[in-house]
Amino acid sequence: MRSYVSLLFVAGLAFLLFVITGQLEFGAAPMRVGQAINQTSPAEVGAANIVTSVVLGYRALDTLGELAILFTAATAGGLMLGRPRAGAAHDPDAGFILRTASDLLFPLLLVVGLFIIVHGHLTPGGGFQGGVILAAAFFLPLLARPGTHFNHAVFSVFEGLAGAAFIVIGLLGLVYGGEFLAPLLGQGEMGSLLSAGTLPLLYIAVGLKVGTELAGLMAHIAAYEAVDS
Amino acid sequence: MTPPDLGAILFSGAFGLVVIGILGIVMSTHLVRIVLSIVLLETGANLLLMLSGYRAGAAAPIIIDGVIPAAMVDPVPQALVLTAIVIGVAVQAFMMTLVLRLRSVYGTLDIRELRTCLERDIAQEAGIGLPTSDNLPETPGVGPVRTQGGDA
Amino acid sequence: MSPVLMFVLPLLAAFLLPVVARGSPRAGRLFGPLVLSLNCVIGILAWATVSEQTQVIALGGFAPPFGIAFYIDRLALLFAIAVSLGVLLLWPDAGEDEAAQRENTLTLVLAASATGLALSGDLFNIYVFYELTAVATYGLAAGRRNGAAYAAALRYVVISSFGAALMLIGIALVYMATGTLNLAQLAQLAPGMLDGPLGLAAFVFILIGAGVKAELFPVNTWVPEVYAAASKRVAGLLAGIISKLALLIIVRLLVLVFQQAEALQILLLLGVLGVVTGELAAWTARDLTRMLAYSSIGQLGVMFIAFSIPGPAGLYAGLAVALHHMVVKPALFLLAERQGGALERLAGSAQASPVACALFVLLVLSLIGIPPLPGFWAKFLVVTAALAQPGTDYLLAVVVILLAAVVEASYLFRVIVQLYRRVPAARVGGGHDSATLTISAALGLVLIAVVLWLAPIGDGLRGIAAQAADRAGYIQAVLPDGASS
Repeated sequence: MRSYVSLLFVAGLAFLLFVITGQLEFGAAPMRVGQAINQTSPAEVGAANIVTSVVLGYRALDTLGELAILFTAATAGGLMLGRPRAGAAHDPDAGFILRTASDLLFPLLLVVGLFIIVHGHLTPGGGFQGGVILAAAFFLPLLARPGTHFNHAVFSVFEGLAGAAFIVIGLLGLVYGGEFLAPLLGQGEMGSLLSAGTLPLLYIAVGLKVGTELAGLMAHIAAYEAVDS
Repeated sequence: MTPPDLGAILFSGAFGLVVIGILGIVMSTHLVRIVLSIVLLETGANLLLMLSGYRAGAAAPIIIDGVIPAAMVDPVPQALVLTAIVIGVAVQAFMMTLVLRLRSVYGTLDIRELRTCLERDIAQEAGIGLPTSDNLPETPGVGPVRTQGGDA
Repeated sequence: MSPVLMFVLPLLAAFLLPVVARGSPRAGRLFGPLVLSLNCVIGILAWATVSEQTQVIALGGFAPPFGIAFYIDRLALLFAIAVSLGVLLLWPDAGEDEAAQRENTLTLVLAASATGLALSGDLFNIYVFYELTAVATYGLAAGRRNGAAYAAALRYVVISSFGAALMLIGIALVYMATGTLNLAQLAQLAPGMLDGPLGLAAFVFILIGAGVKAELFPVNTWVPEVYAAASKRVAGLLAGIISKLALLIIVRLLVLVFQQAEALQILLLLGVLGVVTGELAAWTARDLTRMLAYSSIGQLGVMFIAFSIPGPAGLYAGLAVALHHMVVKPALFLLAERQGGALERLAGSAQASPVACALFVLLVLSLIGIPPLPGFWAKFLVVTAALAQPGTDYLLAVVVILLAAVVEASYLFRVIVQLYRRVPAARVGGGHDSATLTISAALGLVLIAVVLWLAPIGDGLRGIAAQAADRAGYIQAVLPDGASS
């Protein structure tokens, strides 16, 4: 009975969506705000990647919120998972291929991740994308040698400080720039690495935070035991 | 293909993902399938948001070698979807930790069995009989006897 | 002091809490309440300036509609202060171990995000803060970390994610139609662009999304289990404060963007359904927490009915009910912490802790709506505002509200009878701890204070509602040069 009602509901929703599709035009975005941003962003913010100037300039508060969501989810996940299993330190290593590949790929992934983070204002990419690659770099040793001790303390301190760095840069914008998260430090020459003021710094903070956060969460999942109250 | 057909295809794709996701959430009985359906649903919603910024014949909003393209697509939906994807990933990661914990506490990932366990545990804590049970005493302060289910 | 600090400081504190707690667990324990107290001070200081004139903060120095704007009128600031105060009062004082420190972090994030929700003036920004609030509540809902908590929390997460995806679809539809996300510019553009079926569909999607936390029918099925499985302080936070914030954003959207009559009708219908299902379910409930949870759903239904009445009168009535519920429900949940569980187990509570039971009676009387308590006055406002509207649907809503009050009285009196039933001294349980008692007593005193100063508080609220309903004023404040092309 319940599944029939649900099916009916979904059918109704699908019909509603189908009706809406007829009303939508593709390829003719009104761009009421987007057009102006495209035109003024090179002069106002100075980032070659205009999407970055939106993410870290015009809508920087959304990025802060997004960062906070990832942090909160990781904290909540850590709360769920609790202390590591007693036998976690003695998990067997993975096979030869995985171990060797992990040793080879770890530095490569770190470099790629950092590259994408640091160039976020010039090319597509940025803190979140690069941060995930950094986290993937840490996943590999976790998978290859599950018994290695993962220093949660260092990672969580790093994570907290990176997040705080984002907010502190924003507060400096409040003090020196007039508003919270106002871009500082001049714009430099567009297209060069040192351009767009504080935007690369913000992305570095984001990338480091995301990387350490996801790595910590994965380490928790890999070796958990929860203390039930 | 001419652009209008492309638009219809893309929008149908986005809404199709949404409908499949909702169907999955509503009809699945396995917890991991429900999580995957949520992933599909969010993917469809993100795709829809992305499509809202396209302007025909315009280029990507990136300035390469100082050359500013004449017409650029809307950068705002791209920033919005970036945020939305990360939010989705965060929630899905948390959902998976909950799934892991449920598996270890109750030993099952079937939502029907989990529903029974949940109601039983809540009723036990409150000290009342289960609403649908007909063979358990209603003595206040004494819960029903546990017949099955994993203890942590 | 810029009110944006009310959002930034708790968030900064949340990020730094793991670092601080690693240095000194004692400092970690006190850090949160300290920051929240500072927040309350900033809010109260800002009240004086905002009373003269609404404040618009352009984040990052980018003027709206290109950047995100915070719009701070008295309604927003009132809720921001209420969030800080409420989270401070309901702070989960669980100790100094790592789990407690994580819960404190989540609570700080909750305070920050709820404040952001109250202050924000941008549609997608509201979505981001809404999701932030959601994730914080996911963690807190599963905070007791037993099987029931995990299961209830997972159900909540699934329903909430479904709602969030729908909300995102609604936002996408709005953006496709108008090309902007700033609420003021949307208010300007809405009459032309959002009054057709596309706008109505967008409203329905966003309503379902925000309605998950506002305990709207039919996405409120998560409520009873989560309230039962979480600690009562968390239940108080969810029922008292977070649900009101979700309601606030729906109200803002109704006032500014979605002006169609159909939108109000949908809200009225869902409100009536919420009242009916909530109160009937509460009547059949056999344990106190479930009863309070369903009663919460019913009360929120009354608020939806109030907000579906167009104009400042509806806003005023809904605001009164919302603030009243914000005071009463957390207090009830706090008292139920010790007494929660089967109704039969409540017998003898009056002997164990007479003060708590007297408080309980006071709160219950206000909830039902017995004069001269504030609950009566709030419901009276809703009824009179609804009766002033033409049409039979509002008349039906009034009938439903009055019948619901009767049902409420019947099941709540049943509880009181149990409380005061005498049992042999050997079976009398323990009393409440002093912290719970003090907080509940403080909230009870607030109720009494409202009774004493009813007239000035009423005028103040009426002014706040009038300011919030002033659409033209909002547009003028945020976009002084009238942006849209």
